[in-house]
Amino acid sequence: MKKTILQAFILLSLAAGIYLLISRVNWMKLFRIEKMTDALEQKLGDMVWAGMEEQSIEEGKEYDRVDSLVTAICKSNGFNRDKIKLHIMGDSEVNAFALPDHHMVVHTGLINAVHNNDELSGVLAHEIAHMELSHVMKKLLKQMGYTLLISITTGEAGGGAIKELLGMLSSTAYDRKLEKDADIKAIEYLKKTGISPNGFADFLYRLGEKDGSLGSLSWISTHPDSKERAKYIREEAP
Amino acid sequence: MSSTFIYHPTESEAEKASNSYLMSLIAIMVGFPLPIINLMATLFFYIANRKSTYFVRWHCIQALLSQLSLFVINSIGFWWTISVLFREDEHVSNPYLAYIITVFVVNIFELAITISAAIKTRKGQHVSWWFYGPLTQMICKP
Repeated sequence: MKKTILQAFILLSLAAGIYLLISRVNWMKLFRIEKMTDALEQKLGDMVWAGMEEQSIEEGKEYDRVDSLVTAICKSNGFNRDKIKLHIMGDSEVNAFALPDHHMVVHTGLINAVHNNDELSGVLAHEIAHMELSHVMKKLLKQMGYTLLISITTGEAGGGAIKELLGMLSSTAYDRKLEKDADIKAIEYLKKTGISPNGFADFLYRLGEKDGSLGSLSWISTHPDSKERAKYIREEAP
Repeated sequence: MSSTFIYHPTESEAEKASNSYLMSLIAIMVGFPLPIINLMATLFFYIANRKSTYFVRWHCIQALLSQLSLFVINSIGFWWTISVLFREDEHVSNPYLAYIITVFVVNIFELAITISAAIKTRKGQHVSWWFYGPLTQMICKP
């Protein structure tokens, strides 16, 4: 009996040893998974953005306002501001979203709906968090898969696939956990920038109330349980 | 390793005992990813032969026990793969790839010793694996 228990222990240790030994190898690097994903992300970002470029506002008062807020968040959190490609879209929908390769799209509808810069900074910090936590590519890889994404970049999937991808990123929520992760990170970014997360919470609460004066609320329909989010953001705020 | 059994098995016993190992290879025939298949196959074969002779029962149990531990290892890999595919917060990582490669190595090793055991028992030889042999001995009585 004792001998069998000892043998079981040795066998388990052997299996664990094999796993530990194998995990010493950097398989991600060996299979070039990160490099492949980065190259794919860059290509996808450029392709999706090419289809929207015409509606983009790249200068003016609104652009400067958002740009200064994004720059402040990046500077305080040690992010490379040049990596983020900011685009303002003339659209009345209250919406903001991240595209692959650090393209960040903000609708004028959102800029008009916020009451102050703290509220806008909250939404921007949330989208920056999605980018910094690689949520954009994680979501695309989950919902479309590597094969379809590669076929989009080679043109095999047809033009409709890019539209589908854009629709997915601009109007479908990330799963609950990723949204919460982005909120928590956003609070951290805001605090480091010296902005109170209460503004972000106020904006979410107002969206949760579905205030009629806010117009078309894409950002809320894609981000469920706004009131609940406002509650935990307030709890985290100093 | 091969050793002598308490009696010399007949031709039909050797065939049945050998088949118990072949049952565990069935997973490869029906598609590798579902880890439960080979366990079910060895379990059904054991149930069908549970009143058979000692030699047959002994080898059915040894095959079943080895499949049971393989089932645990493969199940973890299977469900980890499912969560990598369908959960947004889970993705391909170095620990995941290392685990899948470990599963592959263990399965190849298990496949090799199972084929070897099937051939040897078919010849009427008694094969007692390290750990699984003594464990079978404790469970299976003449």
